Amino acid sequence: MPSTTIPVRPRLDLLDPFEVAKLGGLEVITEGVVEGFLAGIHRSPRRGFSVEFAEHRMYQPGDELRYVDWKILGRHDRLYVKQYEEETNLRAMIVCDASRSMAWTGSPDSVLPKLAYAQRLIAALTLVLLRQRDAAGLITFDDDVRTVLPPRSRLSHWRQLVATLAALEAGQGTAAEPALRRVVDQLRRRGLVVFVSDLLLEREIALKALRFLRHRGHQVLVLHLMDPAEVALGGPAEARFEDPETRAAVVIRPRDWAGAYRETVRTVVHEWRLACRRHGIGYHRVTTDTPFGVVLREALAPSSRSA
Amino acid sequence: MIGFLHPWALVGLAAAAIPVLLHLLARREPPTVTFPAVRYLVTTTREHQRRLKLQNILLLVLRTLLIIVLVLAAAGPTLPRSGVTGHAPSALVLVVDNSPSSGVVVAGTARLAQLKAAARRVLARATPDDALWLLAADGVPRRGDPPALRDQVDALTVSSRRMDLGEALGTANAILAAEPRPGEISLLTDLQASAVSPAELRAPLVVGRPDQPPPANVGIARLETGPQPWGADGGRLTVSLAGDTSRATPVSARLGDRPARQALARVGAPAVLALPGAASGWWQANAELDPDELRLDDSRVGVVRVAPVAQVNWDSAGRYAAAACDVLEANRRIARGGEVTLGRLARGSAIVQPPEDPAALGALNRALAARGVAWRFGPPVEGASVTDSGSLVGRVRVLRRHALQPAGSGRTGVLATVAGGAPWLVRSGNVVLLASRLDPAWTDLPVSAGFMPFMDALVNRLARGEVSLAEGAPGDAVVLPDLVTEVRQGERDWRVEGGGVFRPTEPGAYYLVADGDTVGAIAANVDPRESRLAPAPDAQVRRLWNNARVVSLDDAAGLAFGAAARGDLRGPLLWAALLLGLAEVVLASPWRRQAR
Repeated sequence: MPSTTIPVRPRLDLLDPFEVAKLGGLEVITEGVVEGFLAGIHRSPRRGFSVEFAEHRMYQPGDELRYVDWKILGRHDRLYVKQYEEETNLRAMIVCDASRSMAWTGSPDSVLPKLAYAQRLIAALTLVLLRQRDAAGLITFDDDVRTVLPPRSRLSHWRQLVATLAALEAGQGTAAEPALRRVVDQLRRRGLVVFVSDLLLEREIALKALRFLRHRGHQVLVLHLMDPAEVALGGPAEARFEDPETRAAVVIRPRDWAGAYRETVRTVVHEWRLACRRHGIGYHRVTTDTPFGVVLREALAPSSRSA
Repeated sequence: MIGFLHPWALVGLAAAAIPVLLHLLARREPPTVTFPAVRYLVTTTREHQRRLKLQNILLLVLRTLLIIVLVLAAAGPTLPRSGVTGHAPSALVLVVDNSPSSGVVVAGTARLAQLKAAARRVLARATPDDALWLLAADGVPRRGDPPALRDQVDALTVSSRRMDLGEALGTANAILAAEPRPGEISLLTDLQASAVSPAELRAPLVVGRPDQPPPANVGIARLETGPQPWGADGGRLTVSLAGDTSRATPVSARLGDRPARQALARVGAPAVLALPGAASGWWQANAELDPDELRLDDSRVGVVRVAPVAQVNWDSAGRYAAAACDVLEANRRIARGGEVTLGRLARGSAIVQPPEDPAALGALNRALAARGVAWRFGPPVEGASVTDSGSLVGRVRVLRRHALQPAGSGRTGVLATVAGGAPWLVRSGNVVLLASRLDPAWTDLPVSAGFMPFMDALVNRLARGEVSLAEGAPGDAVVLPDLVTEVRQGERDWRVEGGGVFRPTEPGAYYLVADGDTVGAIAANVDPRESRLAPAPDAQVRRLWNNARVVSLDDAAGLAFGAAARGDLRGPLLWAALLLGLAEVVLASPWRRQAR
């Protein structure tokens, strides 16, 4: 096997999202993340979709050995891998929660707000999809549907997506069901729906809408964004905790309640995961300090999505 | 009832309010924190709020209890408990009745030896933290540690002083009243009925008394020497008995070392023994019984003054005094002569009454002054009063009198007073002044039963310079006449001040001396009540002494600290504080609170 020197370059997809966000605008850093991500993956992101053999190409470090064409190796002593091509393009619709709760971060100096994290994650995800010649669209919502970008497969469509994401600001409440139902209008045939939200909403209503999408034959993936401060309760000795959306408040001593709260979060996540699995919906809990590349890998892995 | 060794520490109970105050002070408006996942908090608190609230209340109670328990422990609480082997630091007054009756021998053992053995057993249970007093018949409380008091118990002997148990318990009570530690009294006694008197007790009392009944006993209760002085032809001694038996008992009596006379006497039937004459002077009379189980009351002393009868001139004495003198002369208690002049100031000894005519008072006072008498007749005092109840005059009504005023040299020589302390009968040198005439218009004395003995003493003793013959028990206070400067007993003597008090230390004859002359005597003998050894019933004792526990001497030691035994609660309280502290730590620990 020929020796190859692999250049050492910082992979933005594996860096801390907050640090990555400081490197530049949404477009720039998203491209960097996607390049790092694509360079790092060992399996083609396209594998798994209805594909057929297309051509051979020279083996590159990182390629999976199972795609090596052993016959050519035996005949010509050269390493080639078999490449496949989609039979049909994937149509993906990203649904992004832009409610007020998404604009919150527990550590403004070190952790991105959930919405900012979602913007970068969605930009990267759509770029990956478009580079695979898949179609990607976007719906944003708060207490109503804010923007709807139909799925397109042109790479230039990504600029529009990024511009929409960059202009996205947190609204007030959270009403996911109308936004999810709008997906049906955008995806005429079966496609992929990625729901990016902190899931601080009425679970049964949202699940009903997600089940409806599954029923329509779409693959559905839920990316549950959580701030690290929402996972582990902290704060002053005693505080009045107020919901930015509903203004509901509760006075507690975080020290007294940290354990019970952690258990509650664990239960909530578990219930979401169970409910999603029961209906063939992919579910990933994502904390906003997780590198983008890790999330992209999980989100794009075929096993993470509904069948 | 719970007692406290350091009750002042209970002030610290106010600190129990600290947790509540801190809780109230900490209830301020907390800062508001924006937090999207409030719905999770609501879910969490909905499930745990009640338990956490209960937990917080429990913590508050635990902390308050912890402070209370620590403060209580610092105050040193003790609780009455029976059957405890140890005891809390206590105050104990050990009363050992070593009165004369404790000298009785029962079954070959002196009663006092039994009492001392029981006392030693009581002290053996004492600890160095106890406050201990020993109180015996001398009435002096002695404080000390267990070894010191054990030595003092060993040194106890049968005292000649009577012990009134009620008074002794009162003294013990007073001792314990000033003691912060829980106190109790342990009384070891033969529980003579005659020694039991009421007492108000605030401290628990254990009475240890012998199981064996006392033997029948007879003692000499009284030795009367009759009118004094005796003449050259002798006199009579009357011996009265006291005790628990009425059998006839031989009695012997003698004057000094002269041969004894014997007679039979029984309780309630005194024996009268006629003794032959003796030389003039002071004689000690002794009466004795055959030895029995209680030796101390088998003998008694008296004092006899032997002197020729007074030769009296009573021509101007007045009707009643003259009649009395006639009777005394007829009974050979006085003779006519010029040794003593009754009624007016004359050469030699004189007994002077105030004149009937007030105009003569000035001349009389001038004559008294010329004679060097230290007293004068003052103005008449109207209004009835009574004389003091002394042995000389008794208690008689005085209707009229003249004030008797000292002439500059101070008030000395007062022999009798009226109520309020005003002199009524005084002596200066060989002159005796009466404040009232011996007439029923002035005083009831001439028509009272005590008039003849008074006149006998007046002419035979007082006018001749003698003062008094008194009786008392060892330890009793005997008031000394004004003139007395010294008290002698055998080789011993005490410098005293006239008008003061003298307490004989032991049975015997004590002579009162004034300016070198013996002017009186005190016959000190064991209190006759000591001869009656019958014990008081337990029920009576419990009634009189506030439900005292009456047990045998053998059991008294076990109950000495047991009857008032108080368990020290400091240990259990400190354990409780430790447990409360641990519970508080567990309940308040962060991992414990977060793990739920």
